[in-house]
Amino acid sequence: MLRKKLFFRPAFVPALLVLLSLALGGQSFEGIKKQVKTHVLPNGMKLIVLERHDVPVVSFHVYADVGSANESYGITGISHILEHMAFKGTTTVGTKDFAAESKVLEELDDVYAQMKREESKAAPDQAKVAELKAKFQDLEKKAKDYVVNNEYFDMMMRQGDAGVNAYTSSDATQYINYLPSNRLEFWMAMTSDRFLNPVFREFYKERDVIMEERRLGVETQPTGKLMEDFMAVAFKAHPYHHEVIGHMSDLQSIRRQDVADYFKKFYGPSNLTVAVVGDVKADEAFPLADLYFSRIPSGPKPEPVRTKEPEQWGERRVTVSAKSQPFLFLGYHIPDAKSKDNPALEALANIVGRGRSSRLYQNLVKDKKIAIQASCMSGFPGDKFPNLIVFIAVSAQGKTSAECQAAIEEEIEKIKKESVTEEELTKFKRSTIKGLLGQMKSNTQMAAMLAYADVVLGGYEKVFDQIADYRAITAEDVKRVANQYLVKTNRTIGEIIPEK
Amino acid sequence: MRKRKTIKTSIAGLCLLAFITGAAYAQKAPKDKFVFGPLNPIKMPKVERAELPNGIKLFLVEDPEYPTIDLWAMVKAGSVFEPADKAGLASLTGSVLRTGGTQSKTGDQIDKELETLAATVETGIGQTAGNIRVSVLKEDLDKALAILADILTNPAFREDKLNLAKIQQKTMISRRNDDIGSITDREFSGLMYGKDSPYARQTEYATIDAITRQDLVDFYGAYFHPNNTYMAVWGDFKSGDMIAKLKAALGPWKKGKPSTLPWPKVNYEFRSTVNYVEKPDVNQSNIMLGHIGGLMNNPDLPALNIMNQILSFERMFKRIRTDEGLAYSVRGDYGASYIYPGVFSCGAQTKSQSTVYAIDIMLQELKKITEQEVSDEELEKAKDGYLNSYVFNFESKSQIVNRLMSLAYFGYPLDFTEKQKAGVEKVTKADVLRVARKYIQPGKVQILVVGKKEDFDKPLSSLGQVNVIDIAIPAPKK
Repeated sequence: MLRKKLFFRPAFVPALLVLLSLALGGQSFEGIKKQVKTHVLPNGMKLIVLERHDVPVVSFHVYADVGSANESYGITGISHILEHMAFKGTTTVGTKDFAAESKVLEELDDVYAQMKREESKAAPDQAKVAELKAKFQDLEKKAKDYVVNNEYFDMMMRQGDAGVNAYTSSDATQYINYLPSNRLEFWMAMTSDRFLNPVFREFYKERDVIMEERRLGVETQPTGKLMEDFMAVAFKAHPYHHEVIGHMSDLQSIRRQDVADYFKKFYGPSNLTVAVVGDVKADEAFPLADLYFSRIPSGPKPEPVRTKEPEQWGERRVTVSAKSQPFLFLGYHIPDAKSKDNPALEALANIVGRGRSSRLYQNLVKDKKIAIQASCMSGFPGDKFPNLIVFIAVSAQGKTSAECQAAIEEEIEKIKKESVTEEELTKFKRSTIKGLLGQMKSNTQMAAMLAYADVVLGGYEKVFDQIADYRAITAEDVKRVANQYLVKTNRTIGEIIPEK
Repeated sequence: MRKRKTIKTSIAGLCLLAFITGAAYAQKAPKDKFVFGPLNPIKMPKVERAELPNGIKLFLVEDPEYPTIDLWAMVKAGSVFEPADKAGLASLTGSVLRTGGTQSKTGDQIDKELETLAATVETGIGQTAGNIRVSVLKEDLDKALAILADILTNPAFREDKLNLAKIQQKTMISRRNDDIGSITDREFSGLMYGKDSPYARQTEYATIDAITRQDLVDFYGAYFHPNNTYMAVWGDFKSGDMIAKLKAALGPWKKGKPSTLPWPKVNYEFRSTVNYVEKPDVNQSNIMLGHIGGLMNNPDLPALNIMNQILSFERMFKRIRTDEGLAYSVRGDYGASYIYPGVFSCGAQTKSQSTVYAIDIMLQELKKITEQEVSDEELEKAKDGYLNSYVFNFESKSQIVNRLMSLAYFGYPLDFTEKQKAGVEKVTKADVLRVARKYIQPGKVQILVVGKKEDFDKPLSSLGQVNVIDIAIPAPKK
């Protein structure tokens, strides 16, 4: 139940470019693509299966096409809350007596609502608030008596689940399991139940856990604070504006009903894609999916996010004062992952900012010795929507972010004038191929890639098919995108200013 | 004990429908009870072992699925062998070995050459081992091995790259109090091993300044010999060919004095202490408490592993996180390491206002696990989880060959993993209580809190006399 971004980056997806021609030991990439099988259930849920019979294990990846970018004011952080709640069980898992439990849960919500209503009055009746609070705590204890603590986790771990977890990002919520492969049907039963009969129990305590998670990741971390404010300034309208974890006041106010409504809206089968990679047979997995997941009633695909980030009118700047050494972010708006400019932007980010021979490392770290880290990445904080290419510098002792910024700008100007070299482009192509090969070896990462490509890029085949676009990148393309996007009026500067 | 729970489906209608239509697939209805068929057998890859004439001990696994080759070698060395007044020497030696280039090529030339190939050749020295890592597309193997051999036989340790590495080290010193988590880990380690112990000491501006290029040359010369090296290689090759290639490429790396590695002793005195680090700018305390742990070769390790699972998940996680909502990350386990005692510790991060309350719960749970037997259900769950996930120890060929190489490096039997499994199968409730009593001393733990004391629920002095740790960074000499 970590809150983090996908562990693979779209930067590696383009990696396939030269791979098609590259003969693999046992098979070609076209060959792997042909082995991928898909099945769409009548209710709209899609399954993607890649059989791999080397080791008797299987990786499951449920990709819910909903993330913090689907949230609006008042419910920031709810995608992530829902992710946590999905571990709280169902009408049969996690409870001793659901019928009795559900009555107490409703009562509890009712008392909570009364308490909040009273507290929000101009002159709250403190005695009444105290009385409701006592009642609330009492009911919470009563509800707890029906709970089987962490039964979902217990059941999965007991069957040997080595990867039970979930992740929420700006773009998606993803649930993973990694089981011995004779547990295929068990997974189908447990997971379909999770989406068919969820019960959001222990809700108020879990909100407290998430508030601790926010303190841990944002409020006690200078770089966490900077990240939150940086996104808030770079995106004034689009919901990439807010952090996945959400605002503290929203975490304190979101109700159980909000989560139920959100689930209803975004967790229909048409919004779910499941990738299965490992020692299973597709012709066994598909009928089982029919049997278990077809029980989930179909519903309409949710409406896409309406708000688009408008054109930026001038350079923006944000600072965080903290007991910390300096830290610098420079972010420029770029289009989404499906844009035709995306491959060239990936190449740009890689050549400028990844590895010891990258331009930033060479200039800032090795030559000028003003930074100990200088890098660049695109797809920030997600890439389903227009996002940012971000330059990051960690200044060396006694050096400043201003010096780092000047050196980064110097490198950007060089690319805008002279572009990158053929040698650098080759390096980019080869290193991305190699990175992809490394990822494909892992069942878990392969499942994640297939699901991501299917949902965000419009088809799992895109993992393989976009090779042609990437093969075609030229130095001229990189120069063009640098000139188009890396302009001052399109950028946001974020800095940690050390507090004495 | 509660009856084993299974999924109970309530959609009777669906079951019926499936029966009537008679699906082609054998199964007609969702199940609510599961009996698992046998798992397909784990196909153990063949691990080829060999020793090169210069003494490198090889572990090879053929993995032809993807056209890549990877190598990881461990060399008998470690920061625990560096002089205290030159803390940082091992780390600088390990990194400048690679960045400082060779007699014929600068490190920058090597960077460019490797990155153009999408290959990596990296070196480093950690606490208890030197490390060499190579990763390359199959077709570039010869080029990468040539670079590796050149680095190992002709390292130049160029002064400019030593200076660069020193800047990086000093910058890290200047930034070491920025993150509350790293302050907590560092200071707790100091409490466990002693802040001047080779297992916990810190680099300082003065220790980095004291290091010279000659120190690097000498440290490298003392430890980095082929006959001190264990090497795992996996990927798309034939073992015979690989041995021949390594023999040819690394042949010029000449034997040296074998390292005896007298690992420094850990002298731990069990005691209760309460320690505090002031971090006035946070709203959440970082808590760790515990005492010294043990070694992995302890015959009680299987029982300790089961106890750990129960203590950290069944007890700490379920109570502190789920029941109380006090923390996101909660842990508690008895740490065992290969060659020096690990640490037994519990940790959590909780809002300042629940600091002492959370510590109290941790202490209660420690006491409880040493006083009462765990339940049948707790034991069964922990054992089932361990045994059913055992297959993941063999998930990839790289994992298998790397584990064997590490076991050999630390002088452990190569069937260590299999033995652990056999041990876990036999663990009883009485074993869990016995090891908890033997290895955990709830009355003698050292408590560390990093946070803002003004906001705590109760003063830390309610737990004992408070020792305030000063984390101010000693200023660099002008």
